[in-house]
Amino acid sequence: MRSIQRRLSLGLISVLLIVGLILAQISLWLFEVGLQRYLESGLRNESELLLIALVRGPDGLQLDEHRLSPGYQRPYSGHYFQINFDQGHWRSRSLWDLELPHPGQPGLHADLALEKTDQSLLLLHTDYRKFGQTISITVAQDYTPVRDSFALVQRIGLGLGLMALILILVLQRVTVRRALRPLERAREQIFQLQQGQRSQLDERVPVELEPLVAQINHLLAHTEDSLKRSRNALGNLGHALKTPLAVLMSLAEGDKLAGHPHVRDTLRDQLQHIQQRLERELNRARLSGDALPGARFDCAAEIPGLFSTLRMIHGEHLELSSEIAAALFLPWDREDILELLGNVMDNACKWADSQVRLTIAKGTEGYCLLIDDDGPGIPLQHRDEVIGRGNRLDEQVTGHGLGLGIVKDIVEAWDGRIQLLDSTMGGLQVRIDLPERVSPQLPGAESARQPS
Amino acid sequence: MRLLLVEDHVPLADELISTLGRQGYAIDWLTDGRDAIHQGAIEPYDLIVLDLGLPGIPGLEVLQKWRSAGLSTPVLILTARASWAERIEGLKAGADDYLTKPFHPEELQLRIQALLRRVRGLANQPKLEAAGLHLDEGRQCVSRGEEDIQLTAAEFRLLRYFMLHPGQILSKSHLAEHLYDGENERDSNVIEVHVNHLRRKLGRAVVETRRGQGYRFAGTGE
Repeated sequence: MRSIQRRLSLGLISVLLIVGLILAQISLWLFEVGLQRYLESGLRNESELLLIALVRGPDGLQLDEHRLSPGYQRPYSGHYFQINFDQGHWRSRSLWDLELPHPGQPGLHADLALEKTDQSLLLLHTDYRKFGQTISITVAQDYTPVRDSFALVQRIGLGLGLMALILILVLQRVTVRRALRPLERAREQIFQLQQGQRSQLDERVPVELEPLVAQINHLLAHTEDSLKRSRNALGNLGHALKTPLAVLMSLAEGDKLAGHPHVRDTLRDQLQHIQQRLERELNRARLSGDALPGARFDCAAEIPGLFSTLRMIHGEHLELSSEIAAALFLPWDREDILELLGNVMDNACKWADSQVRLTIAKGTEGYCLLIDDDGPGIPLQHRDEVIGRGNRLDEQVTGHGLGLGIVKDIVEAWDGRIQLLDSTMGGLQVRIDLPERVSPQLPGAESARQPS
Repeated sequence: MRLLLVEDHVPLADELISTLGRQGYAIDWLTDGRDAIHQGAIEPYDLIVLDLGLPGIPGLEVLQKWRSAGLSTPVLILTARASWAERIEGLKAGADDYLTKPFHPEELQLRIQALLRRVRGLANQPKLEAAGLHLDEGRQCVSRGEEDIQLTAAEFRLLRYFMLHPGQILSKSHLAEHLYDGENERDSNVIEVHVNHLRRKLGRAVVETRRGQGYRFAGTGE
């Protein structure tokens, strides 16, 4: 979709251009018509003066030279006449050896060129009767200066029109930008939503945007609510299934089955199987994935709690350290991140001799999570088995499973990548790369921030 | 060692009471959180096993009430909610350990043992050691050097309590409160009899009598 701004500009430019050109052309034409009418009255005057200058002389008709204006004497002066009558014709001296064009019809004629000069003539042809004979008088005036000044006016008008157009466009842009500012703000907020920097859109928007923002907020609240509800329901289901499972496991270990070792083994295996399956599927179902755009994980607030929990589980002898950029927020659901870090770090603590280190860094393309331990590590050839594609938790040997199944699920749900590497601390380094979350409708995080 | 078990699922509670009973723990069992708030604050328990999914009042709230009332008894949370977010919440509420259902009964026993020792400030070791004696809690017998000495269930309980509180003076009524659950009769003469049995097996000096005050575990080392 093109932007509203560009659409408005294009519409405005075309309307202004069409209307402006039509208006300018019509007004020029009207003005020219008016001017010609005015000049016509001057020419008619001239031709009447010529008629008066015609006098009856001794050998017929005579032109009284003294009554003629001096413009008719100077060659190519721009004022010409030609008088035709039955016995012959007279031409003004200003015509010199040129022939005045001869229109057939009486009346005003414009745009007639005078041969060999670049003069354009306005010409009035009139027929009179005097002394009992028909006299036709043609008076012409050079129209070129008027035409030139018209062209000048046209150019000035065009320049002024262009300037007005530019001014209008600039003003329109400013106005539209101002009018669309709430939209721009809403777009920024949606971007922040994607980045996990806010959980709701601002409700103080113009009336036109209100339903949209209210609906988005409603959807966000609804998604969050249903996620919470489904997690709660999963928790209840887990509770309802796992408590009886605990009873059965306790029974299987008890004395009552001591006499039936075969039954006990089968029972134990099957219970183990159910437990693992249940754990995995419940954990998967709990993942929010990308459902909630407003989610975020505050590293500074959550990591200490996670660390003390790990210390409680694994004892105080482990030295847990972290290297996390100040005020770092991860744009994913808190519970998902805790599940991810908890499982990987729990695993690292299980194998570490004395140290486990967590590093979270933000790169240009996303986030990088490093979990280092100083334990024995995993030989190169076994690493693929641990996190290989399609490898499932229940296929791993009981007791040696690394608990990375759920971690893999989470990372894959976020289009991330998990790698097992050698740590500088001597043990295993788990490297998790998570790509930055980009909303589907914005082409890129950077261009989204630039106002167009 | 006297434990409070707060668990609303009757079959699981039955199982836990019988397995933990075999391990020499005296157990009081409650199913309701509101009773637990009350009783946990009054009775001198050594450890509380708390299920989070309780009827009436959530387990986490029970725990918060205890902690805000100043109860410092170690609490082991038992729950089906296994997510890390919930574990962290449980810890923030004041839990000392966290065990998710389903679990092996053995795992629960090990956690309880470890927690009891940790609270006493003893290192995480497989056997309980104090003053030259090694107590094997799994086999319920004590060893002194190379020599293994078998104990009865009652002697084991008493010796374990002594070894978890070495050097402290423990009155007969204190011992009775911590060795028997709320329903058994507490006869201080029984304690006297068991102390005498211990002395006969381990030597007179193992438990001192402080007249008018109680007993003190001295061991054999000194």
